[in-house]
Amino acid sequence: MTDLETKLKAEAKRLLDEHLVDVFIGFRKENAPLHPQPAFFTQSDQLDDFVYNNLCQNNLAKFLTRYPRETRIGMIVRGCENRSVNHLIVERQHPRENIVLIGVPCTGIYDWRKITQRCGEEISSVEITSEKILVTTPKSKFEFEPKELLHVSCARCSQPNPINADLVIGDPVEAKDPARAKRQVETFSGMASKARYEWFTHEAERCIRCYACREACPMCYCAECFVDHGAPRWTESMVSKAGMQTWHIIRAFHQTGRCVDCGACERACPMDIRMTYLTEKLNTDMEIEYQFVCGMDDKTQPPFAAFTMDDKTRFVA
Amino acid sequence: MSAQEPNIVLFQCQWCLYAKTDQDWVENALPENMHLVKTSCTGRINPLFVLNAIQGGADGVMISGCKPEVCHFKEGNLGARRQLTAFQSLLNHIGYDRSRIRFVWMDLQDTGRIQKELAVFEKDLTEMGMSGVLVTRKPGFEGGMHD
Repeated sequence: MTDLETKLKAEAKRLLDEHLVDVFIGFRKENAPLHPQPAFFTQSDQLDDFVYNNLCQNNLAKFLTRYPRETRIGMIVRGCENRSVNHLIVERQHPRENIVLIGVPCTGIYDWRKITQRCGEEISSVEITSEKILVTTPKSKFEFEPKELLHVSCARCSQPNPINADLVIGDPVEAKDPARAKRQVETFSGMASKARYEWFTHEAERCIRCYACREACPMCYCAECFVDHGAPRWTESMVSKAGMQTWHIIRAFHQTGRCVDCGACERACPMDIRMTYLTEKLNTDMEIEYQFVCGMDDKTQPPFAAFTMDDKTRFVA
Repeated sequence: MSAQEPNIVLFQCQWCLYAKTDQDWVENALPENMHLVKTSCTGRINPLFVLNAIQGGADGVMISGCKPEVCHFKEGNLGARRQLTAFQSLLNHIGYDRSRIRFVWMDLQDTGRIQKELAVFEKDLTEMGMSGVLVTRKPGFEGGMHD
């Protein structure tokens, strides 16, 4: 168990023992070493299989909306999760005074797909240190640099440190170059419109409509999603071209000014479909036009909610 | 309907045409290649409506609403402008020409403007030709079935 893990566990134990929180959301060890699972600890004796490492791939802010507003929630937050929590507070999904945020400066999430591509599906153990990752399979051993396993969203992360956590454990991480964050969307916008449409079609047509992206996204908390709505039926729910394209366009559009670019949707997708090139474009638009970056504090309303009469100069007739 | 005539869907806020003659023209005398969807306010226009029209074979979508100060619901059009322009930008990002979605914000004295705007839009769309992008369904009046 690493030093960071021990400190986090002690902190979770303290919160639960002193009854400062009703539930502590963290990660739990699983039989599959690449997939630590989100866990909901209500008593300190459940903390035995507590785990925290760079393979914890879920955005825990997703689970904030699953509890009643009165529940006091303790939670581990990295930079992106902290932003998600902030935005959920802006959208009044949970009062800030009922949340205890334990911040962890994040060194990036390792993409489990990259590990299985290089080492095969069968993995017996993974050992992570700050310099290298040791992967053991039944037949051989592999060694990787952290850089080569980073998930694409984490490789261009602009906010690895928690913003307004109640307690930060660990040393702050150096933020990466902000220009790098924009590179993907700039490259995509640079292509001809026909190539962009082909790219989009190629990504959308692989979709199997499992909605794992929706289930992984902290901002998708609607009681009934527009694709599940029966009367009126907004869009085809079957695996048809029109239905799949609608799902990808509207799912991204519903994240306008709300997406923190954590990449949880891409990591959850079983078909390895890229989605952040859509949400990032909308984020860039919101930043340029309304100077809004999602989740940097827990007060500012997103652009779609914050329209005023000052907008009237923007109407182009 | 000949191949040269582009299909246009007009989303119209029911309050935006102040002259009765204009409203009557839009409701009763639209050319055959144009389709009217009358809404209670531009704020009611869900981006899904626009996408649905495009997927069903519309070559262009025109959205006509009121000027900021004169919205019947005070600020419906302010929200609509933010949402729909962001949506236009997203569609442009995935390869759908942004000029195929056009906004017209009507003022009190703009009698007879909608006819002119539609004529200009039709001319521009004819020059651009068929869209082809994002058209994935048959139109509603042919059953609206998927590919």
